[in-house]
Amino acid sequence: MTGTKNNVQRNFGTNSVNYSKKDEQSAPTHGISKETESQESVKENTKKDLLDIIKGMKIELSTVNVQTTKPSSRRQRKSVEATIGSLQKTLEDAPKKRTKSVSPELEAAASAVADFLRFDKQTTKSELLRQLQQHEEVSKTQKDGERTKISVSNIISDMKVAKSATGRVSTRPVHQIQFDEGTDSLMGQKTDDLKKSLRKNMLKGKRLNIFYLKTVTEEAPKTETAPSLWDVEFAKQLAMVNEQPLQNGFAEMIQWTKEGKLWEFPIDNEAGFDDDGSEFHEHVFLDKHLKDFPKQGPIRHFMELVTCGLSKNPYLSVKQKIEHIEWFRNYFNEKQDILKESGIRLN
Amino acid sequence: RWLRFRCKVCLTLTGQRAGPCGQAPNCRFYSGSATVPKVERANVTGIEEVVIPRKKTWDKVAVLQALASTVNRDTTAAPYAFQDDPYLIPTSSLESRSFLLAKKSGENAAKYIINSHPKYFQKDIAEPHIPCLMPEYFEPQIEDISEAALRERIKLKKVKASVDMFDQLLQAGTTVSLETSNSLLDLLCYYGDKEPSTDNHFQQSEKSEELEEAAEENNEKPKKANHQFGNLWRPENNAERIFALMPEKNSHSYCTMIRGMVKHRALVQALNLYTELLNNKLHADVYTFNALIEATALSAHEKPEDKWNNILELLKQMAAQKVKPNLQTFNTILKCLRRFHAFGKVPALQTFREMKAIGIEPSLATYHYLIQLFYHHENHSKGSSLIIYDIMNELTGRKFSPRDPDDDMFFQSAMRVCSFLRDLELAYQVHGLLNTGDNWKFIGPDHRRNFYYSKFFSLLCLMEQIDVTLKWYKDLIPSVFFPRSQTLIDLLQALDVANRLEVIPQIWKDSKEYGHTFRSDLKEEILMLMARDQHPPELQVAFANCAADIKSTYESQDGRQAAPEWPANSLNSIAVLFLRAGRTQEA
Repeated sequence: MTGTKNNVQRNFGTNSVNYSKKDEQSAPTHGISKETESQESVKENTKKDLLDIIKGMKIELSTVNVQTTKPSSRRQRKSVEATIGSLQKTLEDAPKKRTKSVSPELEAAASAVADFLRFDKQTTKSELLRQLQQHEEVSKTQKDGERTKISVSNIISDMKVAKSATGRVSTRPVHQIQFDEGTDSLMGQKTDDLKKSLRKNMLKGKRLNIFYLKTVTEEAPKTETAPSLWDVEFAKQLAMVNEQPLQNGFAEMIQWTKEGKLWEFPIDNEAGFDDDGSEFHEHVFLDKHLKDFPKQGPIRHFMELVTCGLSKNPYLSVKQKIEHIEWFRNYFNEKQDILKESGIRLN
Repeated sequence: RWLRFRCKVCLTLTGQRAGPCGQAPNCRFYSGSATVPKVERANVTGIEEVVIPRKKTWDKVAVLQALASTVNRDTTAAPYAFQDDPYLIPTSSLESRSFLLAKKSGENAAKYIINSHPKYFQKDIAEPHIPCLMPEYFEPQIEDISEAALRERIKLKKVKASVDMFDQLLQAGTTVSLETSNSLLDLLCYYGDKEPSTDNHFQQSEKSEELEEAAEENNEKPKKANHQFGNLWRPENNAERIFALMPEKNSHSYCTMIRGMVKHRALVQALNLYTELLNNKLHADVYTFNALIEATALSAHEKPEDKWNNILELLKQMAAQKVKPNLQTFNTILKCLRRFHAFGKVPALQTFREMKAIGIEPSLATYHYLIQLFYHHENHSKGSSLIIYDIMNELTGRKFSPRDPDDDMFFQSAMRVCSFLRDLELAYQVHGLLNTGDNWKFIGPDHRRNFYYSKFFSLLCLMEQIDVTLKWYKDLIPSVFFPRSQTLIDLLQALDVANRLEVIPQIWKDSKEYGHTFRSDLKEEILMLMARDQHPPELQVAFANCAADIKSTYESQDGRQAAPEWPANSLNSIAVLFLRAGRTQEA
């Protein structure tokens, strides 16, 4: 504990001129805000010395050594890579960089505070870090020169950390996740602002101004032509875009139904069977076709039996039944002389 | 008396129904009911209007669709398309591809046999008749030389036969109508004077896709791209000859010629033909303009600024001729702008805004081109654009239908960008969009689906907590995609970070199933992770079993390869693990 404190004090002592000894010796909790402000004033007034950077890095090493959490090598590297990557990807934004550059020292200070206060170290540390980050967001002025230098210092400090962190054994992801969450939330806030600004860019802005809505929505009288080969093939290509292997048996059945291979649900017994549009009474009541036959006598009997049989026949169509009766009519007409001999009247 | 009165009224109401029944049954009926006062009121108010609702007509697949919507994906089963014989269920992406190809080629072989011997397959016992199961006729029936014969051959897509028929017709002196000649030109231009390929769609589309992508990467060497395309427009081919022979040409003839030329990469001729069209005071249609835009963009040896100006010129002419642009117009422009890299960003956004201003709704392909333009090749020298967030905000919650053949490339590029930006929230957004409605169909063919899910899962391993990652692991693998060894290595690293190394033997078992038994990098990773630290004893036992398993795979691998490769690290790790588990003998 004391070791840390000494280190911390050494750090602040070498850093800037504006610090007074009183700040260091008073309880660090009171001093945090003052330290923040003073450090910010340092940044804004003086240029960051490279020596300070290096010393800052060393302190980072030692404080990291002393902390109870020991990030594993790979995770550290990954998070460092992720953070370096994310730094490069996002637009250069002052507050973020400053947070990164300040945080090693502030982190050291925060850890010292946490140690001092002796309660849950992790939570106090994370709370303090969050406070500091909020401070950073509030103040937005930054000089360009400082920005680039800080980014360089950033990278160096991060790199140094990675090198020293080899050989760590046990993993404690909690600390790392908190740290990363801090940076992620920061990035999230930043990207929200950027999103808003870019949204204006994507949807609003200059257009080509070649086409106008009015002329385009005018419906020119279209002559309907049959789709040409190009259209047909294009439609086939479009249909193929959406093609995916079938996901379940019902989808397969749907495809078969569309191809015509499967009966349509709900099952209709008469699907596809039209019967020439004739109704049941045309099948059953065939008396009207017997008008040309004699009204009495054996021929009538016979034809009534024929119609009775035909009305019960489900296999013939109406036309076929009428043809049947027609055939009988022709037959009896031909055989008139035989009938006359046996004395049967035809009319 | 009161009862009888009621019954009389009931009779009038239920006149049709009751028929000759006497009063008594009705009385009995009504007196038995508990709601006596209500019934009285109904009688008093008179006969109410019976509103017959309009009959609903259902689609023929409505019942099946309703049933299908109740079935969700089973994460423990193989996808439905693979469920045939349990032995044949594929366990890796190679196997699944060959499974699907085998299935499709079986169907094609059967169809081929039916169609080449139609006389054996004439019996039709299906009632009602199923036309698609009957043999198809591919040979032209009409033998005499007439225009009808020509039209039949065109319909059957027989290029050479129709050209011959056309020549015969001309020799015989009959004039061919404009329509028929136009459709002949269509046929010739679309297929580039070659017969339409009878290849399976599978292989054909894959080949052409790869050629496309390779061609685009080699855009600085146009000659190479031309050769790779294979089906070039030969000068003085049949299409041009017939075009010259036609006595009258209307705009359709010119248009189809231009489109054919652009399709087969005869760009300069297409542009020349366009000037001829204008000289003849004819109008081109929107498809022709799309083809011309593509021609302008593909022409070599010009700077991007000049090409862009030419495209703008074409657009202005289009507006002057009152030709309405459609979605393909803008998509073609964006596709061509993609090649201009940095220069293309501003024009692309302008085009996009124009499209929205006119009221043409952008499709997924539009967004895909935008993403490709802004996130080209993952170089981030100046900080990458944040346009993906805008795009996702626009698209969230919308359902799409296919409007452009390139619509299925969107999700792959979106996930690539998410993985590049290492943004898990965005990835969840993209995945949510994929799962809305029917959008899952836009995931594309196999390799794109695998790419999408590999990237998604790697991002999860990198950024998400381990419990959630393991849940996704169980959900996605193997029912949606088969992991590559790199994906499994990512998962192992995530486990390492989260200190859940006890899951490793399970992962090893899974990776054996997915065909990674002989991937040495995966095995080394597993062994190294297990051997690195000391663990509680039961875990050691499990690890040692796993190590023994891996050792046996190495030994069996020796049998397959001439030179055994036992990486030194693996040997070390195996020895250490055996020692820890007390299996000193094996060590």
